[in-house]
Amino acid sequence: MIGSFLAGLLAGSIHAGTPLLYATLGEAVEERAGIINLGLEGVMLMGAVVGFITTVQTGSAAVGVLAAALAGGLFNMIFGFLVITRRANQLASGLALMFCGVGLSALLGASYIGSRIHGLNEIRIPFLSGLPVIGPTFFNYDILVYLVVPISVFIWWVFFRTRWGLSLRAVGENPTAAFAAGKNPHRLQYQALFIAGILGGIAGAHLSLALAKTWAEWMTAGRGFIAVALVIFSKWHPLRAIAGALLFGGAISLQLQLQARGVPVSSFLLDMLPYILSLAVLAAWGGRRRHAAPASLGRVFQGTE
Amino acid sequence: MGELAARIVSFRNDRLAGLVRFAGLFALAFVVFAIVLLAFGKNPLRAYADIFSNTLGSAYGFSEVLVKMIPLVLTAVAVAVPSRIWLINVGGEGQLFIGAMFATWGALNFSTLPIWTLLPLISALGFLGGGLWAAISGILRAKGLVSETISTLLLNYVAILLVNFLVFGPWKDPESANYPQTAPFVEAATLPAFGGTRVHMGVVFAIAALILFYFVISRTRWGLEMRAIGGNAEAARRNGIPITKYIVLLMFIGGGVAGLAGMSEVSAVQGMLRPSLSPGYGFAGFLISWMAGGNPLGIVAAAFLLAIVTAGGDILQMAHKIPGAVVHILMALILFVVLARGSRRTGGK
Amino acid sequence: MRIKISSIELKLLAILASLALVLGISLPEANAQPKLKVGILHIGSVTDAGYNQAHAEGAQVMKKNLPNVEVISVENVPEGADAERVMENMAKQGAKLIIPASFGYLDPALKVAKKYPDVKFVHPGGYKRAPNLGTYWASTPEAFYLMGIAAGRTTKTNKMGYVVALPISFFLGNINAFHLGVQSVNPKAETRVVFTGTFLDPGKEATAANALLDQGVDVLGVIVDSPITVVQAAEKRGAYSIGYHYIGAQKFAPKGWISGIAFTWGELYTRFAMQVMDGTWKSEALLGNLASDYLTIAPFSSAVPADAVKLVNAAKQDFISGKKHVFAGPIKDNKGVERVKAGEVWPLENLGKMGWLVEGVIGQPN
Repeated sequence: MIGSFLAGLLAGSIHAGTPLLYATLGEAVEERAGIINLGLEGVMLMGAVVGFITTVQTGSAAVGVLAAALAGGLFNMIFGFLVITRRANQLASGLALMFCGVGLSALLGASYIGSRIHGLNEIRIPFLSGLPVIGPTFFNYDILVYLVVPISVFIWWVFFRTRWGLSLRAVGENPTAAFAAGKNPHRLQYQALFIAGILGGIAGAHLSLALAKTWAEWMTAGRGFIAVALVIFSKWHPLRAIAGALLFGGAISLQLQLQARGVPVSSFLLDMLPYILSLAVLAAWGGRRRHAAPASLGRVFQGTE
Repeated sequence: MGELAARIVSFRNDRLAGLVRFAGLFALAFVVFAIVLLAFGKNPLRAYADIFSNTLGSAYGFSEVLVKMIPLVLTAVAVAVPSRIWLINVGGEGQLFIGAMFATWGALNFSTLPIWTLLPLISALGFLGGGLWAAISGILRAKGLVSETISTLLLNYVAILLVNFLVFGPWKDPESANYPQTAPFVEAATLPAFGGTRVHMGVVFAIAALILFYFVISRTRWGLEMRAIGGNAEAARRNGIPITKYIVLLMFIGGGVAGLAGMSEVSAVQGMLRPSLSPGYGFAGFLISWMAGGNPLGIVAAAFLLAIVTAGGDILQMAHKIPGAVVHILMALILFVVLARGSRRTGGK
Repeated sequence: MRIKISSIELKLLAILASLALVLGISLPEANAQPKLKVGILHIGSVTDAGYNQAHAEGAQVMKKNLPNVEVISVENVPEGADAERVMENMAKQGAKLIIPASFGYLDPALKVAKKYPDVKFVHPGGYKRAPNLGTYWASTPEAFYLMGIAAGRTTKTNKMGYVVALPISFFLGNINAFHLGVQSVNPKAETRVVFTGTFLDPGKEATAANALLDQGVDVLGVIVDSPITVVQAAEKRGAYSIGYHYIGAQKFAPKGWISGIAFTWGELYTRFAMQVMDGTWKSEALLGNLASDYLTIAPFSSAVPADAVKLVNAAKQDFISGKKHVFAGPIKDNKGVERVKAGEVWPLENLGKMGWLVEGVIGQPN
């Protein structure tokens, strides 16, 4: 009894958490470079709608995912132009990007609502999917779910084991010093934003091509903002983001699972938990230098950037 | 003497230059939007003419713009006040909701009081609710634990969920088909409106907030101290200015003003507490305050513009069959244009 | 005074402005004088393959039937002050019939109706009226009962599931009716309900659907603005599905489709418009039923056994003739409280007061 509950909960968390995780990874890349993007919601929506439209037109969800990634990357370049080249206020630019994404995606997607796609289907792994409990819980997902953890590890590796990652983090801590050391902060930040856009686009594509297999206006329903909170919760660390996404995704699916089992639960109080937890975690680690945000990002928060 | 005159002239010229530049930016945004309209096969001139006549060309239209401006001005001041010492308040939405929540509690539990007592009571509750909510972030920041940008952002969601919980559960109106809304406010708890329009007494809050804001900043000792902190926090602290007190206080005041926006929306406009209380006024207020550089007159101008765009969106849909989503694009375009041209710091001096 | 506008920018601006001017003036505008302007407000977008689209298509059918009617439509109008403003704008534009197509528009509409006594309002699902504001709805419980019969006979696991937006009375009534219908042919079956908390969030709907399917549910129904997500989720896992709102939902579940309930408002709206035009409109609380032309039952698929279809048709006739009532007592709710005594009936007009779920339904009306 408990076993099947946990299994169902885990499956639900993984499903709901995957787009969150992609978006969080993208945001983490940006914020490591010292840029906060409140418009991630818009990027995800552009990915979702472009992915959906492409899949309808080409019949291939794989092409759809690629198109979504590209669309996300390019869309985020608008944001890049504003905050990197024109040095505009990051928070305002992010919100503007969000508005643009909401409106543009609604416009593009209007004539595609109600279209039918086959979407991304589950991939059955020959032996593993057949295992009794572990099978359906861990080995019955579409390709994007399987890829998300390896991608998280890859990003962790890039951040902490490659020269590019080191330069990126240096820019995030102190762009002037990085510049003096011979790096090109602007180029690095653009690269980071492009990657972030790709990841955000994929997050949106997972929603429209795998989870819901449909397009609806503003279907991200605030998940982009949740990702911003998640980045903070996981302290800008890709591996911790996995746990965070599971937790947040779990919160979304937990209350639905409990309802399906007839357990009286208040969905709203449960939904609050991830945010309160994030705040609590941050406050607890607050003074400690080790857990602080990348310094350049901190300056955004100080208002001096 | 000549030097003074030259100073005055150049100051005025700078102001004028700034205004002209701003006007040019908006004109550019509207031209770009005209092209978007053309791409849809619509007539931009007629569209703009309709927007104008619908918003400014009639007393009714103008009154509707004012109604829309009230919460926008209030949430913008909510951001502008803390921004004086470089605090970033993105939590206007949450503070608005909590303010509305406190006000609703008062309206539901003291509904037998006369209007002269009940209205001031729930107004005060609205201010208190929003203020306390923001003060949480203020305290966390003052203690050096969490940046207020992050905490106000996160607390937005908690606030909205809290209101949802109440409205779906304990506060749900038993007479409304189980729909998630509270019982309607009694007469005595409803902010009255002027004339036959929907412009309600919240406009008094908005004007008062602007005037007080301007007055305190530029004419009082507290304003001076705030400007000192904003200029050089370390030096200010060494001079004995209590920075931590200001941090909490300004967040409280900012949140309180946003709470008033919530109170006036729930009391005057909606008449009951519902999950759909605010279509993002908190975030809009942030953008307005930012566009205006935290300047009271600028806030009025930017709120005015935003109100026109939103009201104009209706007529675009009605008369020109343009899909509703396009209004978001227009807002984004205006913002992009402003953002791309200048790097203005939040707050200004 | 130095204002920095480079000459290039100035030239560009001039070119763009003159372009706009030229094109603007040259584009023609339509000029016919319609006999009746009808305004309609939507809470969402009209292409949602669900609630909003049903209303919009109704307006389109009305327009086709009556060529001298003009439709003014606005989408994505939030409830509250914005709805009031839009309705006033419509009235000022000369609309004489306004359809505020969302439950939450009722109070704003009542306010505007008071200001414009010569404009008629028809509100779907409302429970308050005014001299110039009437309400209409198709009473769906009977249709849900029929769905229940079909589902009860088609299920293999005896477990039904419903993904529902909010626990408002009308939806609770629908679920109750569905379950009573299931029980009438399959007393052992149970119905589980999950509320997503919002009218449209495909991500949550997919998760809710999967949670129900995890519980062994093999018939999935849905009451949200757009049925697509849930119907697809059921199809993917080989379960049966029941659609709602949008009659085209069947194409999303070619194998698992049982039937669906759709609203086809076109003829009703046409009647409203005609009544307003010839002055015979009056405010009433119109409640349609199975016999009305605005409530449509989708065709049954071959998965439904033939004897079930016979039962459904028989029940349908009994409802229409008044021989049968959906909520005929004794009925207990799922907490054991008796809600309808033996020999009594809970009338469909009082659906707005139903705040409970029937015994055998697993779920929380909160």
